[in-house]
Amino acid sequence: MIQASRRLLVAVLIFFFAAPNILAYQTEPEEEKSVPIDVLGQVRDHHYLTVAGYELPLPRIILVEGQWYFFGSTDSAVESGAFVEKNHQLIPADGREITIDLSITSHLMYVWFGVGLTLLLTFMVAARYKRGEGRETEPKGWFQNLFELVFVFVRDEIAKANIPEEKHQKFVPYLFGVFVAISFMNLFGLLPWGATATADITVTATLAALTFIITQWNGSRDHWRHVFWFPGVPSWMLLILTPIEIIGLFTKPFALAVRLFANMLSGKIMIVCILGLIFIFAEFFGATIGVGSGILIVPLTVALYVLKAFVGVLQAYIFTLLSAVFIGMAAEEGEEHKEGSEAIA
Amino acid sequence: MGLLAAGIGAGIIAIGAGFGIGMIGKSATESIARQPEASADIRGAMILTAALIEGVALIGAIVCILLVFFA
Repeated sequence: MIQASRRLLVAVLIFFFAAPNILAYQTEPEEEKSVPIDVLGQVRDHHYLTVAGYELPLPRIILVEGQWYFFGSTDSAVESGAFVEKNHQLIPADGREITIDLSITSHLMYVWFGVGLTLLLTFMVAARYKRGEGRETEPKGWFQNLFELVFVFVRDEIAKANIPEEKHQKFVPYLFGVFVAISFMNLFGLLPWGATATADITVTATLAALTFIITQWNGSRDHWRHVFWFPGVPSWMLLILTPIEIIGLFTKPFALAVRLFANMLSGKIMIVCILGLIFIFAEFFGATIGVGSGILIVPLTVALYVLKAFVGVLQAYIFTLLSAVFIGMAAEEGEEHKEGSEAIA
Repeated sequence: MGLLAAGIGAGIIAIGAGFGIGMIGKSATESIARQPEASADIRGAMILTAALIEGVALIGAIVCILLVFFA
């Protein structure tokens, strides 16, 4: 009896979910027939922040041949007469070239949200530890416990496991900050109207460049010797090995940037494409089948969302882990290599 | 032609990456079955190696995307 009434309830709920949509689809005027859904527009960087369906314009900062322009929004830039909008891009009205466009975009805003949230949480917990809570007593509340769990995980499993024991202390803040900030940036993309900042190659390239600088700055003598004068090989081999090693320095952060970028971008595109199937079905077979396919597609998207939340944290972990591995490889003072070079010499 | 090349390339990438990650999964599950107490270390090494393979595969995928848009 309960089983039957539950089934009826689900059927009624599905009907209430589907019926208004069918009606809405039939009454809505069709704007762009050729493109049912704009896939790349969902992942592209915008000059506005979407909040609750409204577009909040973001400031434009543009340098045109030595002259700075500041505007509150793209519209006010066009209204001032100095710029013309063409193909969603601002072009100076008098035919000059834009030297550099430092406008604040939606992806930059989400990077700031992620970094700001990380800083806020870290300072909040740091204040607690300064008061002695957690050092003299045990950590209190779920928030401090969770924070300590993540921090200890990054320190022990990522930093201590991959960076030489006596040096790892100094890299823990960077690794922890990167881990938490990338996690937040990835997970912000799952919020309604949110944008995944890490689905932008410029963001991930900046992060990878930070890792690259830290890696090279802390490179030991041994690291540089392996790059320019590989020990224990015939000297003519250096002609081949040195260029390869120098390229190898740059491919590591490049792969780091591309990995995070491609994973986040493909996740986002996959969700938009699968949701877009509803509109494609609706276009080909009529509104009823289109909305009916939603019954199948929406749970699939929910499953993909769960997968994406997992992948977001996993990719943050992989980025941090590989950063730690690269830093550890460069910072290591290789004692064990001496035997190899002596054996050959 | 660019589209065709990108499609074929993406397929070959999928074969290579699938083979590589499959090998990792095979050896990792075998080692965990052989020595269950070391499963945490094995899992870490597995994720690290899979991430390295994924990096190569994704660079190939980026080449395919470039072919679609610029060839």
